[in-house]
Amino acid sequence: MTSEDNAFKALLDDYIVECLPLSERIADQFVELERCWRSGEPADELLPAVKGTLHTVKGNSAMMGLTPMQDVAHALEDVCVLLTREPDARGESSAALLVEGGGLLVDLVRTAGAGDGIEAAAAFGQRVRGFLAQVGRNGSAAAEHADRRKGDRRSAPRGPGTEAAGNVVRVDFRQLDTLLEVLGEGMIEHSAVNEAYRRLMRRVGELEELSDLDRAVVALEKTMKRMEAVVMGTRLLPISTVFGRFPRLVRDLAHTAQKRVRLVTSGGETPMDKAILDRLSEPLIHLLTNAVVHGLESREDRVRSGKPEEGVIELRAASHSGRVMIVLADDGRGLDEAKIQAKAEALGLEAAGVDSGNRHAVIFAPGFSTAEQVSSLAGRGVGLDVVARSIHGLGGTIEVVSRPGQGLSFTLSLPLTLAIVRSLIIEVDRERFAVPISHVAETVRAEADAIHEINRRGVTLWRGDLIHVADGGELLGTTERADSPRRFYIVISSGAKRRGLMVDRLIGHQDVVVKGLDPALGHPDVVSGTTILGDGRVACILDAVRILDQRAAGAPSTGATERRMSA
Amino acid sequence: MPNSFLVVDDSKLHHQMYKVVFSRGTLAGSTLYHATNGREGYAVLAEHPELSLVLLDLNMPEMNGLELLARRRAEQLHLHIPVVLVTTEATPEDEARGRAAGAWDYLRKPFQPADVEQLVARALAGASVSTGK
Repeated sequence: MTSEDNAFKALLDDYIVECLPLSERIADQFVELERCWRSGEPADELLPAVKGTLHTVKGNSAMMGLTPMQDVAHALEDVCVLLTREPDARGESSAALLVEGGGLLVDLVRTAGAGDGIEAAAAFGQRVRGFLAQVGRNGSAAAEHADRRKGDRRSAPRGPGTEAAGNVVRVDFRQLDTLLEVLGEGMIEHSAVNEAYRRLMRRVGELEELSDLDRAVVALEKTMKRMEAVVMGTRLLPISTVFGRFPRLVRDLAHTAQKRVRLVTSGGETPMDKAILDRLSEPLIHLLTNAVVHGLESREDRVRSGKPEEGVIELRAASHSGRVMIVLADDGRGLDEAKIQAKAEALGLEAAGVDSGNRHAVIFAPGFSTAEQVSSLAGRGVGLDVVARSIHGLGGTIEVVSRPGQGLSFTLSLPLTLAIVRSLIIEVDRERFAVPISHVAETVRAEADAIHEINRRGVTLWRGDLIHVADGGELLGTTERADSPRRFYIVISSGAKRRGLMVDRLIGHQDVVVKGLDPALGHPDVVSGTTILGDGRVACILDAVRILDQRAAGAPSTGATERRMSA
Repeated sequence: MPNSFLVVDDSKLHHQMYKVVFSRGTLAGSTLYHATNGREGYAVLAEHPELSLVLLDLNMPEMNGLELLARRRAEQLHLHIPVVLVTTEATPEDEARGRAAGAWDYLRKPFQPADVEQLVARALAGASVSTGK
C-alpha cells in the first residue's frame, strides 16, 4: 500500500512530529553504540531500548503505508536482534551499518510525503540482508528475523506525551508573528492610554472617577503582561530541536578528521523563541566543526600529552535570568597564544585594551584564523567573525576562554526572544532611545567632577574600574545639541566590557516591540532596530554590543595613544 | 444517542488515527474520548458508564494497560464495558495475562481502519458481553 491510498495519509504531519524525534533518538543511540563498542564501554541497556523505539517507528510507518521507513526500521531491528544474540558480531562494520541506517531513517521520516526513498531503502535492505547472511553463516538462523518475542515496546523511551492529544492544533508560525505584532500594537496603545491618563491626573488632581480609570489602566497592564507571556509561550521550542542533529554531525566530522570525539549535551529542554533557534544552528555547527577539526588534538597528540584518546565536546544550555546561556567547551589544545599575538599584530588589531575584557576576543575579528592549512572540513574561508556577527545579530554575546593545553570554551548569551525587549528609555538632545535592560549595568547621576578627560576621551571611575564614557549626542549623531551639560550617564555592559554613555534624561523602563530598520532612512550603526513609544514617537533601539565594540567612537585616538593610556 | 468510545494511548499520532477511523462509515458521528495515560484513562472511564468500548494501549507511562485493568477489576468499575488491549506483537502468554486481567479482545498494531471497524461491530453486536468472567 502506498501513502496515496492510505486512510491515514492526512496525518502525515502528525507522523513526522511523532516519529522524527524517535528516529533521531534511534540514530543518536546508534552513534552512542558505535562509540561504546569502540571504547569497550558496556552498552547493554542500549540495544533493547533502541529496538523498542525502532518497533514503534516501524508500526507507525506501516499504518501510514510508508513502506520505505517501515522496511528500513525493520531491517535495523533485524540487525539489533542479531547483535543482541551474537555479541561477537558487534564491532566497527556492524556499528557503521546501524549508524548509516539510522541516518537514512531520519532522512526518510523528515521528508515523508515526498514519496522518495524507495530505492535508498531497498539498497539498504540489500546490505542488511548481506550482513545478516554473513553473520548467520556462523551457525545461527539470524537472517530469519525469527526473534519476534516479547512486547519489547516496554523499554521504548517516551516522547513528550503530556498534552492531551485532542488539544493540539497546528498553526503557521507566520500567524504567531502576526499575533505578536498585534500584541505589540496593543502594548503601545496601552502605554498611550497610560500616559494620557497620567497627564490628565496631573491636570485635574484626585477625582473619584479617575480612581476607576486608574484601576482599569493597572488591570489592563497586568492583562497585557499575561497576554505577552502566553503569546511568547506559543513561540518557544526546546533547544533540543537544534541540538538533535549534532551527535551525528560530530560523529561524521570526527570520522573524516580521524579523531575520536564524544559529544555530551545537556539542557536540551531549555525553551527558546523559534525565530532565534532557526538562526542558531549555523553558528553552532561552525563552532562544533572548529572544535572537532582544530580544537581537539590528533589521537596520537592526545595520548602523548597524557590525555584520553577520545576528545570530549560539551554543549550545555540553561536559562539564566531571562536569557539563554549556551556553553560549548572542548578538552583540546586551547588557543595558540603566540600565533594569535602574531596574527593580531599582522592584522593591526590590538590584543589588549581597557575596553576589551578578554584579549582572546581578537579571534572574532574579520580575517582572523590561525589554522595552518585549509582543511576540507573547516576551511579558512569563514571565520569566527561570521559566528560572532550572527550571534550579535541575535542580540547575543559570545565570549571565549582558552586554557592552553586543556581546552577552549565559548559562552553564548542569547535573548529568549527577539520580539519584545525590556528597555531603558533615555533622552539625548530631546531624542529618545531604547537601551535593552540586559545591557544596562547601572544608571548614574553625573556629578560635575566625576568625568575626567584623558587623551580627549571621557573616563570615570565606576565600581573601582576606569571606564570610558562617551557623549550620547556624539555617539548617536543627534541633530541638535543641547547646551546644558548632561545630567546622567548609563553604564552599558556586555560580558566583561563596560562603557559609559552620557544622556540628558532617564525616562523609565518599558517593554518595547522591536521593529526592523528601514535601510532607506539611514541609522547610526549602533542602532539595531526601532520601536514606537507610548506617545507615538519612533525611537531607535541601541545595539549595546556595537556600542562597546566601537572603541574609537567619540575620540579618534590611535592604537598607540590607547596603549599608553592603559599602561 | 451516538455510541461513545474511549482511546487510551500515549501516542498523539494514534489518537489522530482513531479520530480518522471513528469519523468514517458506520462509525461517523461517534463520540470519542481521549486519554494519554492509564491514570487519565481510568478517570475518564469512571465518568462515562455509557461507553461502548475502550481501546487501551498496553505500554504507557503513569499506568499501563494491564495496571488499569487490574485496578478496574479491584474496584469493580463499569465491568460491563468491553476493553480492547492494543499491542504490538504480544505473545500468547501476554494475551492470556491480558484476558485474565479483564481484556475483552486484542487489537494488534499496526492496524488499519477495517480492523478497528470489525472489532467495534463485534463489540456492539454482543453488547451484553461479560468481561473477564
